[in-house]
Amino acid sequence: MGDKTIKVCVIDDNTDYLFTMETFLTRNGFDVKTASEGKAGIELIKEQRPDLIVLDVMMETTFSGFEVCRQVRSDSDLKNTPIIGVSGMGDELGLKYEKYEDMEYFSPNVFFDKPVDKDLLLAKINDLTS
Amino acid sequence: MNYLNNNFQLIDLTFKSIVDALPCYVMIQDQDFNILFANQTFRSDFGDKIVDKYCYAVLKASLHPCSVCPVSETFKDKKVHVSEELIHLPDGSASEMIAYSAPLFDAVGDVSACIKILVNVETIKDEHRELVVLGQSIALLSHDIKNILEGLQGGAYVVEEALKDKDRELASRGWDIVKRNITEITGITQDILYSAKKRKPKLRTVKPVDVARQAGQLFDEKASSMGIQLLLELNPKVPAVKIDPTGISRMLGNLIWNALQACQKDNEKRKHLVFVRTDFYDDEHFFFEVEDDAQGMDKEIQENLFKDFYSSKGESGNGLGLMVVERIAKNHEAKIEVLTKKGAGSLFRVIIHLPDKKIALK
Repeated sequence: MGDKTIKVCVIDDNTDYLFTMETFLTRNGFDVKTASEGKAGIELIKEQRPDLIVLDVMMETTFSGFEVCRQVRSDSDLKNTPIIGVSGMGDELGLKYEKYEDMEYFSPNVFFDKPVDKDLLLAKINDLTS
Repeated sequence: MNYLNNNFQLIDLTFKSIVDALPCYVMIQDQDFNILFANQTFRSDFGDKIVDKYCYAVLKASLHPCSVCPVSETFKDKKVHVSEELIHLPDGSASEMIAYSAPLFDAVGDVSACIKILVNVETIKDEHRELVVLGQSIALLSHDIKNILEGLQGGAYVVEEALKDKDRELASRGWDIVKRNITEITGITQDILYSAKKRKPKLRTVKPVDVARQAGQLFDEKASSMGIQLLLELNPKVPAVKIDPTGISRMLGNLIWNALQACQKDNEKRKHLVFVRTDFYDDEHFFFEVEDDAQGMDKEIQENLFKDFYSSKGESGNGLGLMVVERIAKNHEAKIEVLTKKGAGSLFRVIIHLPDKKIALK
C-alpha cells in the first residue's frame, strides 16, 4: 500500500467499544471511520471503500454483522475487502470461525473473540492490508 | 393378599410394619399391573381401596398402561429397572418420583410379581432446578461482567492516551466510558444482591412521586446521551405510603433501562419517548409505570418475560432485570400489568395497595 494511509471502517453497536477502537486505530496511523449500526455500516463501506473492515458479528441492529458481511461479499466492487469479524458472544454461542466450513454464510478473513488483543489486531490488519 | 401369603410368605408382622413405615410407596404388582400389595405410606396418600386396582389407573389417572414401564421391563428380563415418573397425587397435584422395580421369583425361577418402590424426589428436583438456574446465571453474568471489564479497559486506555497528549477532551470522553461502565457494574451488583437472597423490604413511609422522580433523574443523562426523551408524569396527590424506597427505585431503574434499550434498538422511529408515571389506579391502589414507544414485544417475549434469567437482549442482557422487578413487586404484594403493541411500544405497570384509610387515620 506504500505510504497511503490505510482506511479502516469499524462497525459495532457498542458505542464505547467503537470509540475505543477508533482511538486505538487512529493513534496507530489508520484513517478510521465508524458506524454503530449495520445498515449505516453498509452505507459507510460503500461510501468510504475502506482497505479493511472490523465488524461486530452480533449487532442487535437492523442489519447484523452476518448481513453486513453477506452484502459486502455479494457486491462485486467490495467483495475482496478484508473483514475482521469480532464478537463478545463467541464463547457462549460456540461461535468459532472455521474458514472452510463457514465460508458460505459468513466469510470474514479472520475472526476474533472480544476482548481482542490489540497487538494481534494490529498485526492482522497490517498483514491483511499489506 | 392371600396370593402373596400363599406364594411368597414374606409378610410377617415385623417385616410388614417396617415396609409400612418406609417413607416411600412400596407395592407389589402382577403382570397385568394389578396392585397386589401397598404399604401404609402409599395407602395413607391414595386410600385403602388401591389394592386390586391397576397401577396406571391409581398413579397416572390413566385407562391404559404406560408406554415406558419399569415393571413391564422387569417381567421381560427379570432385572431391576429404574425410571423417573410423574405421579398424579389424589389432591390433583403431581410429583416427580424415581421408580424402582425388582422381580419376585417363584419356586422355579420365573417372575411371578414385581416389587415397585416409588421415591418422591420433588425436593431434590427443585434443588437441581435451582442449581441449573444458578449455573445459567453465572454464565450470563460472567459474560456481562466481561463486557463491562472490557469497557473499563477501553475507557482507561482512552484516558491514558489522552493524558500522554494532555488532551482534555479525549480524557473526558474516556472518563465518560469508565463512568458508564462503573454505573453498569453497580447496577448488576445490586440486581445480583436482590435476586440472590431473600431480602426483607425496608419499609419507610415516603411519597411515591419522590421515589419515582429520583429514579427517573438517575437516567436523565443516560437518556439524553441515547437521544431519548425521558418524561416524568407524577401525580403529587398520591399519598405517602409504606414502601421500600431503595427496592422501588431499583425496580423503576430496571424498567426505565429496559425501555431505553428497547428505544435504542428501534430504528423505525427517529425520536423516542419514555414516560415514568405514578398515579391513582383506583380507590384502593396506586401505580408506578414505565412506558416506551419502541417496537413492542412479540408473543414469545411476552410469554417468557418473568422467567428467571430470560433475556431478549442477546449480548446486552442478563435476564436479571425483570426477575428483580418481579421480586420487588412481590415484596410489596403488588400486581404487575404488561401492555404491549407490536410497533407501538410497551408499558409496565406495578400496582400497589394504598394504605387503608381507616388505619391511616388512626
